[in-house]
Amino acid sequence: MTNYTNLNADKINILDNIQFRLFLGSSGALLVFKLLFSGSELIVYKLVTDLLIISAISFLFLFLMDIFEKRNASPFSLIMNIGILNAFVFFLIMFSDSIMSLLFENVNEKLNNPSLVSTIITLAYILLIVGFIIYVFITLRHLFFFRQSGSQKIYFYTMLVFFVLASLTAQYFGANELSFISDTFMIISVLLMLLNSLRISWIAFIVKKEKIALLVLSIVIAVLFIVNLNNSGDATVHSKMLSSISPSLKEFTEIIMLYAAIYFSVLFFTTLFHIPTAEAFDRKAEEVSSLQYFSKLITQVLEYNELADTVTDITIRVSGANASWIIWREKDEFISLANKNIGFIDSNLLNKFILRKVDWENLDDTIFLKLSDIEVQSKLSQKFRAMAISPLKAHGKLQGLLVAICKDDKKFNEEDKNAIATFSDYASISMENSRLLEESIEKERLERELDVAREIQRKIIPEKNPEYEDLEISSVFVPAFEVGGDYYDFFKISESKLGILIADVSGKGISAAFIMAEIKGIFESLSKTIENPREILIKANDILISTLDSKTFVSAAYCLIDFNERKLNIARAGHCPVLLLRNDTAQRLKPSGMGLGMSREKHFEDTLDELIIDLKENDTIVLYTDGITEAKNENLDDFGEKYFTEILLESRNKSSDEISKKVINEVSMFAKNHSQYDDITLVILKWKPRHSEERGRDRQKIKLNGEKEWQNSAQQL
Amino acid sequence: MAEFSTAIIDRGDVSVINVSGYLDAHTAPTLESNFTELIDNNKFKIVVNFKDLAYISSAGLGVFMAYVEKIRDNAGDIKLTNMNEKVYNIFDLLGFPLLYEIFSTEDEAVNKFNKSDKVGNDESK
Repeated sequence: MTNYTNLNADKINILDNIQFRLFLGSSGALLVFKLLFSGSELIVYKLVTDLLIISAISFLFLFLMDIFEKRNASPFSLIMNIGILNAFVFFLIMFSDSIMSLLFENVNEKLNNPSLVSTIITLAYILLIVGFIIYVFITLRHLFFFRQSGSQKIYFYTMLVFFVLASLTAQYFGANELSFISDTFMIISVLLMLLNSLRISWIAFIVKKEKIALLVLSIVIAVLFIVNLNNSGDATVHSKMLSSISPSLKEFTEIIMLYAAIYFSVLFFTTLFHIPTAEAFDRKAEEVSSLQYFSKLITQVLEYNELADTVTDITIRVSGANASWIIWREKDEFISLANKNIGFIDSNLLNKFILRKVDWENLDDTIFLKLSDIEVQSKLSQKFRAMAISPLKAHGKLQGLLVAICKDDKKFNEEDKNAIATFSDYASISMENSRLLEESIEKERLERELDVAREIQRKIIPEKNPEYEDLEISSVFVPAFEVGGDYYDFFKISESKLGILIADVSGKGISAAFIMAEIKGIFESLSKTIENPREILIKANDILISTLDSKTFVSAAYCLIDFNERKLNIARAGHCPVLLLRNDTAQRLKPSGMGLGMSREKHFEDTLDELIIDLKENDTIVLYTDGITEAKNENLDDFGEKYFTEILLESRNKSSDEISKKVINEVSMFAKNHSQYDDITLVILKWKPRHSEERGRDRQKIKLNGEKEWQNSAQQL
Repeated sequence: MAEFSTAIIDRGDVSVINVSGYLDAHTAPTLESNFTELIDNNKFKIVVNFKDLAYISSAGLGVFMAYVEKIRDNAGDIKLTNMNEKVYNIFDLLGFPLLYEIFSTEDEAVNKFNKSDKVGNDESK
């Protein structure tokens, strides 16, 4: 139907078409020729007429072929068109008699002795019939080649040649002793028609519904062709009109109509024989196309749930089930996924039944269950009768079960079983792929996030160490892949005072990086107004307790060096102890204090101590994070504080830079077979006063007091 | 990293969580869900036994911080027991002993709960 209207749409630029112009030219020439030499009985005249007709037919044929080629119409719609046109021609032939009688008093007279008007009308009529015949022929040609391999061409064109030969010879030899020639051509033509009519392989590929429609349509068309053929007997006006122009043409239209009648009769019987297997064929075709569709889908990036939806959708299509869903294994729980035509309450109920009834752990193949087996009769077992369960496995491990359920207990058969099994194999692979893809996307996202975190960390850590004549400062920071939340900083409080902070945020990644940035802000501002380490930590805790979430905390140690007084003041909030190397000993300076953000203001303050030490020449103060002591080797042994201290003591007489270099070398040697899990931070300060002699003497008294203070709380290693 | 697992055992109205393996950022959610479950069931007397714990990271420590306030608001507590030296040092550095009662055996911790109940009951009488 649509094709028929499309045909009209194409007529817009019909006049631009060279073939159509040639067709019009030939038709015009035919008209002129007819008018000039009407009634002539010469063979030459007839031959010229036939040549003109052949050229007109050929051009129209080529023109219509062009339109046909551009459109890829289904055979079914082509046949629809034939049916409609056929009915039209049926009426045309039927009424040609009466209409012509109305127009002209004596039709026979007019045809034998035509006027201008009658010739034009006759020609127009004939062109209509020719158009129809060509359309039928092209359609038959199209159907012949549809889903046919190329080698069949020869049969069809041989047939065409015999059609033309039979038509032409009938006129010239039909009535005399040479009639056997045209008869022979005719017989061969009919044989070829029969042979070519048997090529209807495309019938198998249309769906059952269309097959039934085709059955009706083909018989109607076949009958119409036979009737039309019957109505175009020699005595009819239709026949006379054709003969008056060219008897060959009349012969040709009859041959084509005969071919069409044979073809559609054969089509009718073929369709009839295909009907019983139509459903099975449809099912198979559906299965194949579903799998094709599905395999196309999985190559696209699909969201996991979307894919699961597609899986259940297609399951219903390939198995003819009424409902479907996936029982998905998440850790040790089973959940319903992608439910189609069934509610979650119902499916969950059935899940329990299935999981109890089926040895799902060892399920290798699709199995069927009858719902009548359900112990508790329920609405469900009345609604649904049978179900098919298929395992979804990836890498040999059960991921879930694909369930299809049916209202009719005889519905599922071996075919369905195979369809579901094939499909579930496919589905499990694609679902696993989708899951892996999602994981890798997530991983990529995390990596980008970590890039941001590392960038933040890099920016907030001091670019270089401050320089003092009395103090050598060395710092090393080795970030872990997953930003570990280490942070250290120096605050120049005045010309003679330097604050040093080392901190470790619990947690990792971007959130740790943000907290580090917050810590930097807090200490930057607090160090401007508060000198005392203990007070700074108390204030910092006040702020952090309200901003950090309950499971996050920050360990920190804050040191203040007073260059004039030659003192070191330390407060520690849950951080690793500060180590002091003096002479041959290493002391752990570990004043009491819990991590920042762990406890309310008062409790934190009450438990926080400070430690004041008088600095001596060559005193080495070591601040570090647990990234050093918890660095691990291949046996998961810790680097440990003991080993750390040994290395420090070994190299205590070296410069601060050399000591930190040594430590980092040792740590990386130790942990070379294990990935670095946490940030490593090491800050080493070495006290090298310029005028040690006089100043040292001045401060003798204070030093003694200081030593007493730290000896009480520091452990000696 | 290595595996981590937990097991909850009821001892009277005290719930004991036995933790084993490596408790870090990746395994912490397991312990978190244990705490959530206990709190949902109105079990606020919790002892965590570290006998089989090999390692704890700062994220692991955070789990205890996250729930202790809610538990104490409901007249409960988290008590920690059976820490090996390494685990204790980590807790100690951060000042956990200032916030939590740490015992060397599980019985001590359970008894402490029962005793404080008795005291509470006596007082109410």
